[in-house]
Amino acid sequence: MSRRTILLAAVFLGGLALLLTADRWSGQALSDTQTGDMVEAPRFEVDPMFPKPLPNGWLMGMAIGIAVDAEDHIWIVHRPDTLSDAEAAADQNPPTAACCHRAPPVLQFDQEGNLLSAWGGPGEGYEWPQSNHGIFVDHKGIVWIGGNGAQDAQVLKFTQDGTFVAQYGRSGQSGGSNDTENFGRVAKIFVDPQANEAYLADGYGNKRVAVLDADTGAFKRYWGAYGNKPDDTNPGPYDPDAPPAQQFRTPVHCSDLSVDGLLYVCDRPNNRLQVFLSDGTFVKEQVIAKRTLGDGAVWDVAFSRDPEQKYLYVADGKNERVYIMLRDTLEILSSFGDGGRQPGQFFAVHSIVTDTMGNLFTTETYEGRRLQKFVFKGVTQVPRDQGVVWPLKK
Amino acid sequence: MGRQAFERVRISWAGAVALGALVMIVSSSAPLRGVAQVPGAQAASVDPLWPQPLPNHWILGSVTGVDIDSRDHVWVVHQGAASLNRRTENALDTDPPGSEYCCASAPQVLEFDADGQLVGHWGGAGEGFDWPANPGGMAVDDEGNVWIAAAGLPPAPAGRGGRGGRGGAAQTTAPPVDGHILKFSADGTFLMQIGHPGEAGGPDALGALLRPAAVDVDTRTNEVFVADTGHQRVAVFDATTGAYKRQWGNAGTTPFQTLSCITLSRSGEVFVCDQEANTVFVFKTDGTPVREAIVSPGTRGAGSVWDIALSADSDQKFAYVANGQEQTVHVLERATLSEVGRIGSGGRWPGYFFGVGSVAVNSMGQVITGEALQGKRVQRFLVNQAGR
Repeated sequence: MSRRTILLAAVFLGGLALLLTADRWSGQALSDTQTGDMVEAPRFEVDPMFPKPLPNGWLMGMAIGIAVDAEDHIWIVHRPDTLSDAEAAADQNPPTAACCHRAPPVLQFDQEGNLLSAWGGPGEGYEWPQSNHGIFVDHKGIVWIGGNGAQDAQVLKFTQDGTFVAQYGRSGQSGGSNDTENFGRVAKIFVDPQANEAYLADGYGNKRVAVLDADTGAFKRYWGAYGNKPDDTNPGPYDPDAPPAQQFRTPVHCSDLSVDGLLYVCDRPNNRLQVFLSDGTFVKEQVIAKRTLGDGAVWDVAFSRDPEQKYLYVADGKNERVYIMLRDTLEILSSFGDGGRQPGQFFAVHSIVTDTMGNLFTTETYEGRRLQKFVFKGVTQVPRDQGVVWPLKK
Repeated sequence: MGRQAFERVRISWAGAVALGALVMIVSSSAPLRGVAQVPGAQAASVDPLWPQPLPNHWILGSVTGVDIDSRDHVWVVHQGAASLNRRTENALDTDPPGSEYCCASAPQVLEFDADGQLVGHWGGAGEGFDWPANPGGMAVDDEGNVWIAAAGLPPAPAGRGGRGGRGGAAQTTAPPVDGHILKFSADGTFLMQIGHPGEAGGPDALGALLRPAAVDVDTRTNEVFVADTGHQRVAVFDATTGAYKRQWGNAGTTPFQTLSCITLSRSGEVFVCDQEANTVFVFKTDGTPVREAIVSPGTRGAGSVWDIALSADSDQKFAYVANGQEQTVHVLERATLSEVGRIGSGGRWPGYFFGVGSVAVNSMGQVITGEALQGKRVQRFLVNQAGR
């Protein structure tokens, strides 16, 4: 095949893809959403060769946050300090091997998986987290970083080139879940572009959602599970047979706002998703994988990119899968993924996000330490349990 | 090679390869995915979709051995639950289970066909033998029998610590020290055990073993060769009766440090890895030294020479050396032991390594790797004609 032929084919396929994209959210013309063990839902395929190799012999540690900006660039934050000395052998003095070095904590990739920029770490004028956790790029292009270290009570704002902008809260100053100046080990940030408000999943220390003015950091409101006033009393380990806990169980791991103003909160060890109005009014909840212990089943959420955000994706880093839910009813339609180190498998899938084309990106913590891309293949008939979603053989 | 070229590769390999593979590798200087050509050396490319996902939500522990049988089936032995974290990895193995769907340790011995489908699995304690507290290397002989070294728990890796261990292996109490090798039929039926745990004997004890790291079988002479790591020597036994035949140490002035592999060539050379000495030793089968070479002299820590496999061409022109410290596979010219290229670098994506400690080559010249530590994978690399 000549270069010219390939180019023509690429142009044709690209155009075809654009035509198809417009219609891919409408699904197939089926009257019933379910047929047998199949169900109509978004289908994904892992891209096994995404991203491109990191330069400089860089390695990622636990990858604990992901975001997509207005240009569809993918941002992640990871923990370089979780790489053991044996793995970061080239950083030792003297080096114990030529491979490898710890990568900077904030990494920006383009759609092809090329690394565009890398920055982060302690600097003048701000307190970098003891343990990085959560990243978000807001509608003004500002990069927000949280932290779940024992002393982390702050969130940070940077420009996209890593210039410090602002810090809200002070390290070591957390006064608990009713403190209106500091936070308690923030897991994730989401900024509402309409109201210009930042929602903080707060967090690993606190048991609340906290809302700030995104420009000034001024504290606006906060609430706990079911909209209750947060109570930091230790509830002990999760018991699947106990009545529903009236407080979040740390960590409160996500708080993402939909286009219709509903806030989806990951109450991770309680294995549930709670839904609120933006003022904290409780709307409803959904329990997921109820008998999951320890780390819990509800780690992160992302929305499908159709105008109505019809589907909700939930990452479960304990059961190693991503659930596909109908956002309206919170019904779990399907799931994909399984445990393992190969493409499309997970070890502690921690964070998920979608880009404007509907593709889904994941990061893994613990020893998973990967960024993976799952290509959106349209709404179609899929099995309830899709398993590992490798590309279909041609 | 860029993405466009990758597509071309996929086209040309269609039917032979499940998805196709991005050419990566092979260069002495820049072992990164992407192109790198070294005159006279071969190019390798990872097959990112091999093997097939395991059934039953099984996951691999740290891989300690891989080998290929006469049907090109890939055999894997791994550390199983002892190397998995029950809180974060194999929560289905707890009582009550800590998760609803995933994951459980796979049986410690796995057999994949050439397409990467799991076609056999077994392993664990049984009647009449001592299952290893910790397995080492494995070998499948020409009759299809499976040999496993009982390597014992390795010393704690240098430098492990900080939060790197947060998702790491569960700590276990030390069982009796392994001192044996095991022979099974392909279906896992126990056939023979040589040596016994806790009966290592002294350095002069003939035929006793202590934490043997690896085995290989010489079908022509029906002898099994053992890297007797704890005794710093090579030991040879009759492969049918288990009778002791001979042993030798390093003929040089210093003893072997950490023997980690033993591999026989078709021509009757015995390759031995001294991992922390960064050294490959070559002997005749009677123990006569032939040659030796340092590989990656700058490597410290756990050392550079973890395992060796020989290429599939009739002359076995190349030797592949798994280097779990540098996260790469060195390609050596077998006759000279000089390095001509490398496959892979550090990382968790396909074609990258963490703790690559096992290597084998199938009849098509494809390179199969096993990753120890937190790598916990097997991977397959396609190598062009020059490496066959």
